[in-house]
Amino acid sequence: MILSPAERSYLYDSLIQKPPIRPDSRSGHQFRPLEAKTAFLPSSNGSARIRLMDGSECIVSVKAKVVLKSQESSLIECDIDVSGNRDDSNFVSILKFNLTNLLCQNFPMDVLQLTSKYSYKLFIDCLVISHTSYPLTLLSLATYLALKTTRLPLLVSDVDDSEVEEQPTFSDDWDKSKYLKEMVSSNSKFQPPIFITLGVVGDNLLFDPSTEEEQVLENGLILSWYNNKVITPISNINLASNSNNSNFKGMDPILISKSLALLKKYCGEIVDALDGIIEHDDATEGGIF
Amino acid sequence: MELYSPEGLRIDGRRWNELRKFECRINTHPNSSDGSSFIEQGNTKVICMVQGPMEPVLRSQSNPNQANIEISITIANFSTTERKKRLKNEKRLVELKATLERTFEQSVMCKLYPRTVIQVNIHVLAQDGGLLAGITNAITLGLIDAGIAMYDYVSSISAGLYDTTPLLDLNTLEENDMSTLTIGVIGKSEKLALLLLEDKMPLDRLESVLAIGIAGGHRIRDLMDEEVRRHGNLRLSKVNV
Repeated sequence: MILSPAERSYLYDSLIQKPPIRPDSRSGHQFRPLEAKTAFLPSSNGSARIRLMDGSECIVSVKAKVVLKSQESSLIECDIDVSGNRDDSNFVSILKFNLTNLLCQNFPMDVLQLTSKYSYKLFIDCLVISHTSYPLTLLSLATYLALKTTRLPLLVSDVDDSEVEEQPTFSDDWDKSKYLKEMVSSNSKFQPPIFITLGVVGDNLLFDPSTEEEQVLENGLILSWYNNKVITPISNINLASNSNNSNFKGMDPILISKSLALLKKYCGEIVDALDGIIEHDDATEGGIF
Repeated sequence: MELYSPEGLRIDGRRWNELRKFECRINTHPNSSDGSSFIEQGNTKVICMVQGPMEPVLRSQSNPNQANIEISITIANFSTTERKKRLKNEKRLVELKATLERTFEQSVMCKLYPRTVIQVNIHVLAQDGGLLAGITNAITLGLIDAGIAMYDYVSSISAGLYDTTPLLDLNTLEENDMSTLTIGVIGKSEKLALLLLEDKMPLDRLESVLAIGIAGGHRIRDLMDEEVRRHGNLRLSKVNV
């Protein structure tokens, strides 16, 4: 929905208050309520669906394939399909680049290793069924859930095949399969990276801006979070993709350090909440909706 | 591999005239569409979202006499066991889309909605045989949920011929190995709104295959009707409070 000049001005004035007054009465660091379901696709190693209350929805599937290490440049491949957008459009390419880049650089690749020659390659396919606000956070949260619930079959053949020509063989028993989180070395925790989008209005930073808020933001920030700290890349972006945002302007660098502090304070809770979803998700309970 | 054993059992343990597990839900996406549905036919899973009837974006899309039905089909890369990237303009998909549009132009009372467009978005999440049947059933439910007037349910099912035995509701393995037809039955009648046969089938066996298909279609219609009534009652109970 495109706002009228009067609506824009009203919304801008309320967002610039201290503390900001958001149209859905959220506080600055609050996400919109979401519902999620995991592990519902029988032919994928891991899957997740996230839906926000405004109807935005994203489905992510993780599929693994055994590949020869020497022939692959990267062990993770992401693909994004946004309903209503062409696959080669700027909008989709930017989302795809962001997600691929984040996962390829911040993922414990050693969990994918099988033998000295072979390894798993993960294909992460994201389907955005509908979206109103910028879908990057939605995508990355769904990817997080899908990766967390990804199960890979148990390798039964020898790990060292540098001397012998042997293809890896796997246990037929799916009950023996292992979650990715069980395959990481014991002293570290398996927590895939996530993206957080922040909106900037005056000195205020708003978590997870809604589509109306995006239209009056002065700037937008995309930050990533991995292993309990903020990591690069940190980038800024005009989140209003469906209208001209006349408020858009440069940003005070102090806000960047402020945003880092905010993320440090709240991202732990976000990740805990996502882990809670997985724990409480009952696979036996009926359909995916 | 034995598709049909001498004892009369198929690879997944069904008899010749048995359906796979059929589950459906309507109004699954109340906030993002006017009508929506989700169906599972065996391991085939389809989401359908209907927008409209609404004013078309372009004047050229509007027809002064009747509504225009536009169907777009997205088949997810991960829908098959082996991951495969699919293009939007693949020939098979374009043909499916045309078949579906023609079917529903006849089954929806398009005359009631002149100068509008009804946009149907299909997302196939998993496929295990009966793709067209699954999509058709999902669209029927989606249109019902959107409150669009239709003459009757269009319930669809695939049926094939193994040697001389007709088999109902084929999965991928069976579909790859025998000639298959998909039919769309109108309500409880024996009229067909849709028939697709992509390979050959002996003419003298066609009748038995159609007969089992129509019987299966009626069963699917009952299952869909049950879900529509369940949802209708749920809504009604909320109105009374």
